[in-house]
Amino acid sequence: MTEKEKRAKEARTLRMEIDHREVSFPEHVTVLRAAELNNIYIPSLCSHKDLSPFGGCRMCVVEIEGMRGYPLACSTVAQEGMKVLTDTATLRDMRKEILQLILSEHPSSCLVCGESKECSEYQFTIRKTGVSTGCRYCPNDRQCELQNVVEKIGLTEITYPVYYRGYEAEHDDPFFDRDYNICILCGRCVRMCQEVRGTAILAFKHRGPKVQIGPAFGRSHVEAGCEFCGACVSVCPTGALVDKSSKWDGKPDGIEVSTCPFCSIGCRIELHHKDGKLSKVYPNLDAEINDGQLCVRGRFSMPEATHHHERAKKPMLRRGKYFREVNWSEAQEEVAGKLKGLKPEEFLMLVSGDLTNESLFAAQKFVRSCLAANSIDSTARFSLPGGLGLWAKLFSLPISIKGVAESDAIIAVGLDSRFYFSVVGVEIRRALKHGAQLLTIDARDSNLARYTDHRLQPVPGREGMLLNAVSQGLSGKKTALKVIAKHGGMDEDAVKKAIDLLKAGVKLSVIIGPTVFEYSDTVELLDGIFELAKRKNTNFIPLYHGSNVRGAVELGAFGEILPGVIQSKGPGTSLTDLMTKRKRPKVLYLVGQSPFLERPDCDYVISQDTYYPPFSIDAFLPAASFAEAGGTLTNIEGRVQELVKIENPPDGAVTGYVRPDWQIFSDLSQKLDCRALGYKNAEDILQEIHEAVPGFPAKPDRQPRRLKAGSELIIEKKNHPPDGKGEFLLIVEPAGFQHRGMDLSYVVEGLGELALEQGVRLNPDDLAQLGVEPGGRITLTVDGIKITATTKADGDCPAKVIYCSQPSNFGGLKERENLEPLYHMKSNPIHVDVQVTEGSSPSR
Amino acid sequence: MNTKKLEQRRRQADKKWSEFQNNQRPLIYVGAGSCGLAAGAAEVIGALEAYVKDKKQDVDVVRVGCIGPCYLEPLVDIQMPGKPRISYSNVTADNVTRLLQSFLEKGEVYKPRLVGHFGTEPFDGVPKFFEHPMLAPQVRIVLRNCGMIDPENLDHYLARDGYKGLEKTLAMPWNDVLEVVKNSGIRGRGGAGFPTWRKWLVCRETESAERYLICNADEGDPGAFMNRSLIEGDPHALLEGMLIAAYTIGATQGFIYIRAEYPLAVERLKGSIADIRELGLLGENILGSGFSFDIKIKEGAGAFVCGEETALIGSIEGRRGMPRTRPPFPALSGLWGKPTIINNVETLGTLPNILRNGAGWYSQYGTESSKGTKTFSLVGKVRRTGLIEVPLGTTLRKVIFEIGGGLVKEFKAVQTGGPSGGCLSQEFLDTPIDYENLAAAGSIMGSGGLIVIDRDTCIVDTAKYYLSFTQAESCGKCVPCRVGTRHLVNILTKICKGQGELSDIGKLETLSKAIKGSALCGLGQTAPNPVLSSLKYFREEFLAHIVNKRCPAAVCRDLVVYRVIKEKCTGCQRCVQVCPTGAITGPRSEVHNLDISKCIKCRSCYEICRFDAIAGDAIIIES
Repeated sequence: MTEKEKRAKEARTLRMEIDHREVSFPEHVTVLRAAELNNIYIPSLCSHKDLSPFGGCRMCVVEIEGMRGYPLACSTVAQEGMKVLTDTATLRDMRKEILQLILSEHPSSCLVCGESKECSEYQFTIRKTGVSTGCRYCPNDRQCELQNVVEKIGLTEITYPVYYRGYEAEHDDPFFDRDYNICILCGRCVRMCQEVRGTAILAFKHRGPKVQIGPAFGRSHVEAGCEFCGACVSVCPTGALVDKSSKWDGKPDGIEVSTCPFCSIGCRIELHHKDGKLSKVYPNLDAEINDGQLCVRGRFSMPEATHHHERAKKPMLRRGKYFREVNWSEAQEEVAGKLKGLKPEEFLMLVSGDLTNESLFAAQKFVRSCLAANSIDSTARFSLPGGLGLWAKLFSLPISIKGVAESDAIIAVGLDSRFYFSVVGVEIRRALKHGAQLLTIDARDSNLARYTDHRLQPVPGREGMLLNAVSQGLSGKKTALKVIAKHGGMDEDAVKKAIDLLKAGVKLSVIIGPTVFEYSDTVELLDGIFELAKRKNTNFIPLYHGSNVRGAVELGAFGEILPGVIQSKGPGTSLTDLMTKRKRPKVLYLVGQSPFLERPDCDYVISQDTYYPPFSIDAFLPAASFAEAGGTLTNIEGRVQELVKIENPPDGAVTGYVRPDWQIFSDLSQKLDCRALGYKNAEDILQEIHEAVPGFPAKPDRQPRRLKAGSELIIEKKNHPPDGKGEFLLIVEPAGFQHRGMDLSYVVEGLGELALEQGVRLNPDDLAQLGVEPGGRITLTVDGIKITATTKADGDCPAKVIYCSQPSNFGGLKERENLEPLYHMKSNPIHVDVQVTEGSSPSR
Repeated sequence: MNTKKLEQRRRQADKKWSEFQNNQRPLIYVGAGSCGLAAGAAEVIGALEAYVKDKKQDVDVVRVGCIGPCYLEPLVDIQMPGKPRISYSNVTADNVTRLLQSFLEKGEVYKPRLVGHFGTEPFDGVPKFFEHPMLAPQVRIVLRNCGMIDPENLDHYLARDGYKGLEKTLAMPWNDVLEVVKNSGIRGRGGAGFPTWRKWLVCRETESAERYLICNADEGDPGAFMNRSLIEGDPHALLEGMLIAAYTIGATQGFIYIRAEYPLAVERLKGSIADIRELGLLGENILGSGFSFDIKIKEGAGAFVCGEETALIGSIEGRRGMPRTRPPFPALSGLWGKPTIINNVETLGTLPNILRNGAGWYSQYGTESSKGTKTFSLVGKVRRTGLIEVPLGTTLRKVIFEIGGGLVKEFKAVQTGGPSGGCLSQEFLDTPIDYENLAAAGSIMGSGGLIVIDRDTCIVDTAKYYLSFTQAESCGKCVPCRVGTRHLVNILTKICKGQGELSDIGKLETLSKAIKGSALCGLGQTAPNPVLSSLKYFREEFLAHIVNKRCPAAVCRDLVVYRVIKEKCTGCQRCVQVCPTGAITGPRSEVHNLDISKCIKCRSCYEICRFDAIAGDAIIIES
């Protein structure tokens, strides 16, 4: 329970009088909130439930008996027996006057236009043209809080001259446009950025009439370090801040609450749709997980990811030299024909960990029932380094995102929450606000390290060792801190202090970023986790990429486990068999992911996805995207959350012929004369899962579940310290901007601009020492292999350390192909030698 | 550090002070506060030292703070061994040598520019300094050391009973100190006049492990310099006052929020803090009383709004200087959410005197509701400008016509309280100055700016000036202040340009009232005061601008014309030479001709004319 909720729970019910009406309200709320709870309207433009009272707009002035002047409802705490008047003639006049002042700074043609009423009905225009489209001067028209207030107050004219500030609209940064001519300086965005997100990118600049919002010193948002979480846009009451992709969509036809399909947190989102199409995504105020917050992926990437012009929407088959469009039945016939009669070692299906529970279950059932084989594997494996045994164990620990905000001691290992798992970062800051202690263990500088004095920055790869030291210390065991500190490149005192700091905490949250699990030496990391697991009141957040990876584990989308995480013994082909060329499947069926740069060695490749893979295939089956197929996703905590189908495009040459994955499997099974999969809808499958998998709900159920199965799986500890020779240490970390077959940083323009996972990343000082400009090329030598890569300056990297991201699929950025050999190194981290590539010139 | 050590130091200080007073060598005092330096004190000191070096004379030079009559700066005082200190005004680098020659070489009292001597006995026909008409009516309590001691010398302060108030304080329980402050009747000198003790009590009674004391030295009113002069002239008075206040409210950390535009004051404070820290008057267990306190200086970046207490707190916390809504008041929840007391420099500077001499002594000055004395910076169109201190209840007439020596031209108004105050007309000249009277008249006491306005100053223009100031200095947070003041400025500008309409007066009034009622902080709530008070007392002048399109003071450029007075013009051609557009023509010794179509109203001719020919002298600006 957060502090706020605790207070709310303990709060007594008080009574007061508003407009001569007796009303009751909980203790500690403001007059504005008390009125709101009793359906009494007090106009307000700058207040917001998540933000501290500001008192800037002055619209919520009220009269309170015994108080001097006109106190503000938004900042006055309601008290027992208070007598409040909200709608006297004086107040009405004052509000009208203030509103006029606000409008005299705001282009307000749409607000006090004489035609405004008819306009909303008949959409005619005051422009001298023969169209009836209405005037769309502001992207926020009809969704504007200012408009609402003007209507409620009943203002019809402005007696003051209107000043146009004349700022240039700002389009330079990705994702959202800013037009500060429309801004009413309510300060919500600034407070959101400072108080809730803790980033403080936005600030008030200048004084008097020149006051403006923006990053200080005239920097762009990118330069200032904006996370592009969009929280500022979501709270803007006017059209000053708007999403680029849906800017002129207008008022949405409706809003559906759904789940973000992009990562394991499973944030609740609100899908705004217009004319049957996904328009934009806002965060939901759901208090269980994200409470009105999102990250750049969830907030801004969805419309572009599903509406991209390269989206593959038609069934295709290879016909001789050509790869051509066919109808569904033709495609099904051919694919079924190829699948018929295959032996287990002649086939492999690879499914993505981003598919819905229903599709994953259908996929494994399709393989196991119709093809009688265990020849299924999931690329979710890439997200689960350390093996299924380890993760089955991790999923059995108490995992609670909300629990982070309630804890009084937090350890964050190897996590930077700016662009990845940013909601976890928000929860950490919520905890800090009520006095929690934070310890960060990260070789890199991170955004979280900014919020604490207690940061341990070990040698890369040694994070686990420090976590172990801390966990041993917490359980009162004697540890050779001196040796640990020495190995980790740390000050012994700092480690000791960190342990003492956390000892005082009762509720502990341990958050572990995905990179840490990727290391090839995880013995100490796992020891540390298991030691902490014995402690009471400990909450774990072991982070991994991929939205339904936990679902893939629970539903047995791997050869070695069946639904319910039961070990499977049957014959089959695995991804490892293919990679190591132990087996050569005749037919390869890629569902939602293609983790290869080139066509793997097999006779027939089927791809079932939303985008084409980057190599030649024999059959393509167009799958529905997250917006087009309903279903459920299992998040890191085990909640089974609904993914709402928002687009239902009719089959057609333009709209395409996409189908949900489970349906494609079901249809194919019919062609194979297999009766096991006669699914009509996703609900049936969920019901079947419920019956097959103990503990799995029959309907979307947002209860967190601890995994009870899988304890018999072996937990392997990787014990391979850094190999290689050279001055630099190379770390390969998992890439985060992947979803199904697409690389989000390729299909989403803004993410491409940010280029967060581009090339190899080094400290600017190292680059300067090497004599390379950012964007210049360097050659890494390891084990006699030479790899040339583009550099990117990243101030967070420690000296002499290189980071690069390993994608789990290759449907996009070409730059990554060059780095391919790096993804298969003997150890991670690994020592490498670095030279400037000859003839390298910075390409900015 | 215990009391004994202080006693010892005080004895040393007394000895040094008496040596200083009974100087064996010629002693020269130079008024080197910011006002003196601006008037050229640095050059005077340069010339003086060069002279002394050249003549191989053995003299001591002391840089003292401002003693009050700023219009006489640079002031240089000479004290020959065995003689009283004699003060000279308007000394320059050129004439200082003559002064020195007279004393050092001829042994005579120099007669020109003589102001007075500081002795108690009559001396050689020289008038007494404190009997000077500007100084005689004053009661100098908080300014008692200004100009008298070397502000950088702790011994001087100690010898003049410095830190005795603190010693007394530390010997009492905090509530007794509060009682003294309460009985003295002192109210906040920052302008609002809230009883100091009441605020302190609230703070003291709020449960908290830490409390803070902040000295508000962010003096930003145009034309006000009381705080600066006090800090420059007697920094220890402020520090002692802070120690007394901190002890009473139970603060452990103090801050002085001072504007960076006061470099000399900042420097003096830094030095003084270091001095008393060395002596043990700052830090742990002060004078063995168990009371610990330290002071940090926070330099402001010159935003006027940071004088508002919640904005000031924000600025110290490292946030943007932006007020927040009260309650909670800082006394309950201030700096970093802890109980915080913010007092003005003058309030704190007065405390040592109250504690040393007792509440009864202090409350003998002033009126029933406003006790004690108040410093004012008397500026504008008076003959004698400077820093003054008078008991509250003194009439404006006494201040302006006796202390200030009256005006050259006809009196029109006096502006009190800076941008938050208002313009008071002739009818208030006999009103005793106190918090209630000024507020009732539609102005405020403010921190003590008194700007005297004569008939050559346009009231509409003055109101416009103040509103432009508050508009530019508004933090921009709340709508009425950010947007409302902008509209006020625009309407006033319109009126000054002669484009005003009668309805504008009504607009000014409604808008002003709306701003007053709904703005967030003191800055916004008082911003319309200059407009409202001028509308109340000088409505005629507004009407003249609007209806007759005339500016009676001949200030508003769009409403005036320049004309040569034929009878007065001697044809000296000086105006012809300075006119940048060739609007004035005419041969020597003949009446000049001014071509209105070419005139850009730059005022050059007016300023240069010695014969009242073009509205200045021979040149007239007419409306």
